[in-house]
Amino acid sequence: MTQILIQGFLLSGLYALIAVGFTLIFSVGRVLNLAYGAYLVIGGYAYFWLSQTLGMPKIVGVLLAIVLGAVIGISKYRLIVKPLKGDHVAVEISTLILAVVVQAGIVLLFGDASKILHPIVSGVSRVGGATVTYNILTAAVVSWVILIGLYLFVRFTHLGRALEAVSMDVKGAAISGVDPDQMNQLTWAISGALGALAGVFFASYTQLYPGMWVTPLIIAVAVVIVGGIGSILGTLLVAHIIGFMEVISTSLIAAELRGVFTMLLIIVVLIIRPKGLFGRAEL
Amino acid sequence: MSTILSLAGIVKRFGGLVATNDLSFDVAQGESLGLIGPNGAGKTTIFSLIMGEHRQNEGTISLDGNEISSLPTHARIGRGISRTYQVPRPFAEMTVAENIRVGLMPDSLRGMLFGASDPQAELDLAQSVGFSGDDLDRYPSELSMGDLRKLELARTLATGARVILLDEVFAGLTAGEISQMADLINTKRKEGFTFVIVSHDLRSLEPLVDRVIAMARGALIAEGDFTSVMNDETVRSSYLGT
Amino acid sequence: MFATVNWRHLLLWAVFAAGMLLLPELVKKGTLRTIIMAQYLAIFAMSWDFLSGRTGYISFGHPFLIGIGAYTTAILSYRFGVPVELSIPIAVATTVVGSVLFFLPALRIRGSYFALVTLAFMELMYQLTQVIRPDLTGGTRGISGIETLTRGAVNGFYLSFVLMFVTAFVLWLLSRSRLGTALSAISMNEDAVAGSGLNTTKLKLFAFCVSAAVAGMGGAFWVHYLGSIAPRALFDINFLFTIIVAALIGGASTIIGPMAGAFFLTFLLEYLRPFLPGAERYLIYGGIALLIYMYQPKGLFEIVSRLWRRA
Ligand SMILES: Nc1ncnc2c1ncn2[C@@H]1O[C@H](COP(=O)(O)OP(=O)(O)OP(=O)(O)O)[C@@H](O)[C@H]1O
Ligand SMILES: [Mg+2]
Repeated sequence: MTQILIQGFLLSGLYALIAVGFTLIFSVGRVLNLAYGAYLVIGGYAYFWLSQTLGMPKIVGVLLAIVLGAVIGISKYRLIVKPLKGDHVAVEISTLILAVVVQAGIVLLFGDASKILHPIVSGVSRVGGATVTYNILTAAVVSWVILIGLYLFVRFTHLGRALEAVSMDVKGAAISGVDPDQMNQLTWAISGALGALAGVFFASYTQLYPGMWVTPLIIAVAVVIVGGIGSILGTLLVAHIIGFMEVISTSLIAAELRGVFTMLLIIVVLIIRPKGLFGRAEL
Repeated sequence: MSTILSLAGIVKRFGGLVATNDLSFDVAQGESLGLIGPNGAGKTTIFSLIMGEHRQNEGTISLDGNEISSLPTHARIGRGISRTYQVPRPFAEMTVAENIRVGLMPDSLRGMLFGASDPQAELDLAQSVGFSGDDLDRYPSELSMGDLRKLELARTLATGARVILLDEVFAGLTAGEISQMADLINTKRKEGFTFVIVSHDLRSLEPLVDRVIAMARGALIAEGDFTSVMNDETVRSSYLGT
Repeated sequence: MFATVNWRHLLLWAVFAAGMLLLPELVKKGTLRTIIMAQYLAIFAMSWDFLSGRTGYISFGHPFLIGIGAYTTAILSYRFGVPVELSIPIAVATTVVGSVLFFLPALRIRGSYFALVTLAFMELMYQLTQVIRPDLTGGTRGISGIETLTRGAVNGFYLSFVLMFVTAFVLWLLSRSRLGTALSAISMNEDAVAGSGLNTTKLKLFAFCVSAAVAGMGGAFWVHYLGSIAPRALFDINFLFTIIVAALIGGASTIIGPMAGAFFLTFLLEYLRPFLPGAERYLIYGGIALLIYMYQPKGLFEIVSRLWRRA
């Protein structure tokens, strides 16, 4: 029981971290970035290369991975999303293609086989019968810190309010002197950075392999659909639902079914509420 | 004259905003009714409710004596009512003829699959709203606002509806296009069509309507012939924004 | 339906068929095998395009549909000894019925959410085939030793060609009908289609059933060509990607586009194989697809026909 509780909270923290960058783009940029998972792959591999192949200090590896994620986010916005002028279908398709391209590029550079990442923070302790690796504990804590930070940022800073304004009404925001283009660019950068960071932790929690973007993408999608677009509280809540469902099904039902519930959750919610639980009319 | 369209006690709320508040009115068979009111009065909302694009929170809408509130849009059109939009929405990658073709299609898969399209009917409809035969192959991007409104009207007429709701028919038209459109509406009135016409251009509206109702903030504020509604105190003050 | 079809069209179709049927005389066996793969891919791409290219409802779940058809006939014929004359029609029917049951609610969903649900379905199917009744589905390993319908590349070519040709011709007829016009109208402005008095749900459901039937049929024959089936090869993003890219590169919302795209991709793959044996080749695929798509979302068909008009 304690085992499930602890594991559940830790995994959920990781999932919230994965989802938050995705929901940010959904809410401000209003497009479905199917290449979101690519940040995780790129972040994970960048960290692997820098700290395990080149032997740089871990923290440097993490920071450079984050910077890389941000740069890629901005380039993606500049080169793909902006020229397509917010055409949803076109963005969905081109980001899907991009995700596959990134995956193939990783295969070319690092090969097909999966890699084991050393934990970013090593060490284990046992709490009430549950094994807690410091690695995932750090991921959960970092995730909480980032979510709270993001919440405060949107609520209380000028820049954050401007971001929120764009997410609500692009034209209105433009009239009141906010440059939506700049805000979008900022969002894509933040989203890329968060994705890359999430990738480092996710890879060290599971494994590093070129196709590791699909599962997190589905998790992020589920969180956004069920938890509402751009709602930080909703993100947290649903990340916990999914995290706990997985932990419970892994330990009590069957490990193979862990992902099934996430998919079912997406399908059932969308079918009952075609606009998502807290959704806007159309995307 | 018998009533063809009847709205009773219509309330529509968008979140906290009350777009129409306990609104009732009837439209007689063959009548042309003007619907006026300042921006945001709820005129377009009334049209969307009649067509089933939004659902009212309270009240009933009946066509020809039958309650239609539970029908989806296409079924209401099948019952003989159709609308144009304030902002014309043609099928952008289709020619004028193809746009009209969509309006002419029967709502049956079999009819759409095996029935051939009818170029003559398409041409007739296009000409009846003032297009020439050459215009049939033009695309919406090449059309003026006046032409777009004509196309919209042609597609609406193509559905076979006899009750036509026109939203801001004169907006964005040149003086020549306005008089063309007015002639067209008058011709159709003589053919027995029933109209509800929303317009901010009151001078152009006047010769086209038998009766006018005015609304403000979702409520009906005056009803009667054009002159009496224009002289109504409430109407004047609501237009002045006080 | 035949009003917009004239003898010149039919002549072109006949020339196309005649030209293709000459191929076994002209090309090597190996090339013929590549052509067979291209023809199955063309069927899948046309199926995807009939739903997504035309109505604008992007399906990321086509491997799911293909998988229902393929698994149904594979299980029926391999595990229960049902003759293929029966198992293939059952597979097609199951695909249509099954997908309607699953997707009917999804058709209420608009825009990006539709794409997401279909993607979720594909992943769900992947996970379920491995855990539910692995005695039937063969679990992760899949099933091999499934009865094949044809012997040799030449016969395989004829069969797949007939399938592709019939699919193309029927879809072409459908797209020339008024129904085809209405489906394209949905992608431009769904509200205005409803505002023209047409039941858009019915139209979408029709497009969906046709698309599913073609996918199920393609999947069923394909599995009887390959003789084996495995979940990872089928319910795979790369497979989905290949289908979509074939349709898009060639030109969505046309018939010739997805076919041309399928041949282009399959032969590109063949030529790349010596240099890039693994999944890296998707880098080239994707790069080309992305460039073409960003430059002209309507694909090669539009690029070529624009050049033609200018010349
Ligand atoms: N889909 C909607 N969601 C929320 N509010 C809406 C919606 N549609 C209309 N409204 C609101 O309802 C009120 C009535 O709008 P409506 O468009 O019916 O006015 P109108 O009389 O047609 O105005 P106009 O002359 O500007 O066309 C407005 O305050 C508008 O903002
Ligand atoms: Mg209006």
